[in-house]
Amino acid sequence: MAATDGQRKRRQRGPRVPGAASRPRRADAAPAGALLAAALALPGVMPSAAHAQSAPDKGIVELQYLNYRDWQPGRDRMQVHAPAFYALVPLNDTTVIEGGMVYDHMSGASPLYFNVLSGATIGDYRTAGDLKVTKYYPELGYAVSLGGFVSSEQDFLSRGGSVTVQVYSEDRNRSWSLGFSGTNDRIDSSNGVAVDQSRNSLEFLVGVTQALSANSIVQSNLTYYTGHGYYSDPYKTLDTRPTARQIWAWLTRLNQYFPGPDATLKLGYRFLSDSFGSTSNMFEVAWVQALPWGFTVTPGLRYATQSAADFYMNPPFPKGYKEGQDYSADTRLAAWGAITAGVIVGKTLWDDWAIALRADYYRQDPDWRLGGSGSPGIKTFSARWLQVDLTKSF
Amino acid sequence: MKQFRQTFRAMGTEHEIELAAPDMEVARRAAAAAIADVRRIEAKYSRYRDDSVTARINAAAGGTPVAVDTETAALLRYADQCHALSGGLFDITSGVLRRVWDFKRDPPVLPAADEIAATVALVGWADVEWSAKSVRLPRAGMEIDFGGIGKEYAADRVATICLERGLRHGLVNLGGDVRAIGPQADGSPWRVGIRHPRREQAAVAGFDLATGALATSGDYERYFEVAGRRYCHILNPRTGMPVTHWQSISVVSPLCVVAGSCATIAMLLEADAPAFLDTQGVQWLGVAADGTLRGPAGDA
Repeated sequence: MAATDGQRKRRQRGPRVPGAASRPRRADAAPAGALLAAALALPGVMPSAAHAQSAPDKGIVELQYLNYRDWQPGRDRMQVHAPAFYALVPLNDTTVIEGGMVYDHMSGASPLYFNVLSGATIGDYRTAGDLKVTKYYPELGYAVSLGGFVSSEQDFLSRGGSVTVQVYSEDRNRSWSLGFSGTNDRIDSSNGVAVDQSRNSLEFLVGVTQALSANSIVQSNLTYYTGHGYYSDPYKTLDTRPTARQIWAWLTRLNQYFPGPDATLKLGYRFLSDSFGSTSNMFEVAWVQALPWGFTVTPGLRYATQSAADFYMNPPFPKGYKEGQDYSADTRLAAWGAITAGVIVGKTLWDDWAIALRADYYRQDPDWRLGGSGSPGIKTFSARWLQVDLTKSF
Repeated sequence: MKQFRQTFRAMGTEHEIELAAPDMEVARRAAAAAIADVRRIEAKYSRYRDDSVTARINAAAGGTPVAVDTETAALLRYADQCHALSGGLFDITSGVLRRVWDFKRDPPVLPAADEIAATVALVGWADVEWSAKSVRLPRAGMEIDFGGIGKEYAADRVATICLERGLRHGLVNLGGDVRAIGPQADGSPWRVGIRHPRREQAAVAGFDLATGALATSGDYERYFEVAGRRYCHILNPRTGMPVTHWQSISVVSPLCVVAGSCATIAMLLEADAPAFLDTQGVQWLGVAADGTLRGPAGDA
């Protein structure tokens, strides 16, 4: 790409003799379809995301409202209301700033109390914000992002920063991502179990995105997380977890557009290996169908399956507990399978406004674990999300 | 489905956008945004406006480099590739030849050989110093001109603007350069006729276009005749002389900018045009100097 443009300066071809020029290099020796490939680098000639190598020239403002509710047989557990705001603003041709704010209000039994609990209810809130600045160097073929975020609750404060570098290939059909982020968490539980505890972590990401054709794109990311500090749940009795954790995660996605039905198939797979002892596999599929009147409908399905953490103990609590050993009865660390089914209905409105309604239903069941039995004695767990996004681009 | 149609004038010629959409308002707003973008491109690249990018670059010829934005750099880069792929015949600095070839002059006057030679010396994309950030024309009097790309580029952007607003049926015609946004409302392709090079209101052939673009380059757009011989506005940048091998060449490609530049390059390549067009993988139709129709190798 543009990295070679500088070399084009001052090419010398010898003196020009008007009317007596030598015969040009035979033009039919040109690579097949070369002009079309060259033209695809022109901005705005194709409505394609596969060539997103330069800064977005449009800003976005998005308002979002999420309502979450989960339950287990015979009882409602928790509800979350979360209004959120997001904005992306191009500052100039090569710099983009984006940021978001979210305010969560949780009520009901916390998932922290999952299964083993006092029946206490909580009313808690969280505010979180992030900010990221991306600078594009189109002539050099890369982009650099710097970001920071903070999330604050009564008993928990998380702060972090990230650096991401994206490098684009000459033909812009491939990009590499290298990312690094660091997070510091402070935990001060309201019950006095965790006092001035902290946790520090680093995450590294290496990824590649490759356009396979004008209509398909594949992305693969490998991330490594390493952290140390307080990982236990202060609101659970006897919950003691290791003070160091490493996670390897590999995520691969494929998007394939079909011009005939004007639809996109999205496939995804994630493998995750956690030093807590659990491994998980996740598969997802979605179909984005464009319809008349500016509607899109996206049904999606996701299946995840995981093995239990080494220190997870099956009920009844506190069976298996030994003083001085790691122990948890948190069913999120158990072995189970889970299915998420959802649909998004989007509609473009006037003046660059768009609205999207999203509904997801999640059900987690030990019997749904793939290739092994799930953890015995835990109940199914269900959740649903309802979300409205209102987006304006300008 | 409702039909929406709007004609407008820009870049010195008549344009038309035809859309079919369930919601007339969506079509109307898309057309307004598209027309605004055509006018933006015209204002930015017109060589007739003193404040255009083109005028600034040309005014600085022989002087200091002029900074360019990413869009202009992308157009320069595309022009560079056209130049390379045409063996130097597609040259956005060849517009200076208009100084000696005045097709509006009446009665027409053939330029003298030394006049042509002096002007050809000002043509030379290969000598232009350019990068992703700036461009400099090395000799005073040199000019660049996006006329051979700009209108077709605008047509592709019109299609993108309409597609991004959810429109799936439509056709944009920018002064004879045609890009389909999608098929007609009933799903059938648009029937796009190709102008007969010698009879203004007649069609010599037609293409069915559901997506993609059709552009034609011909010797009938601007020309004069002296002593029974036609001299057209498509000028060989090496000789400074008009091409004669084809009356017109029409090219079908997914992008209008490719169809347009392929058609122009083919006119300039004269006898080498068929081989070039076939390697570019485009559909094409040529009307030879004697009026016979030619098409891709293998086509009857």
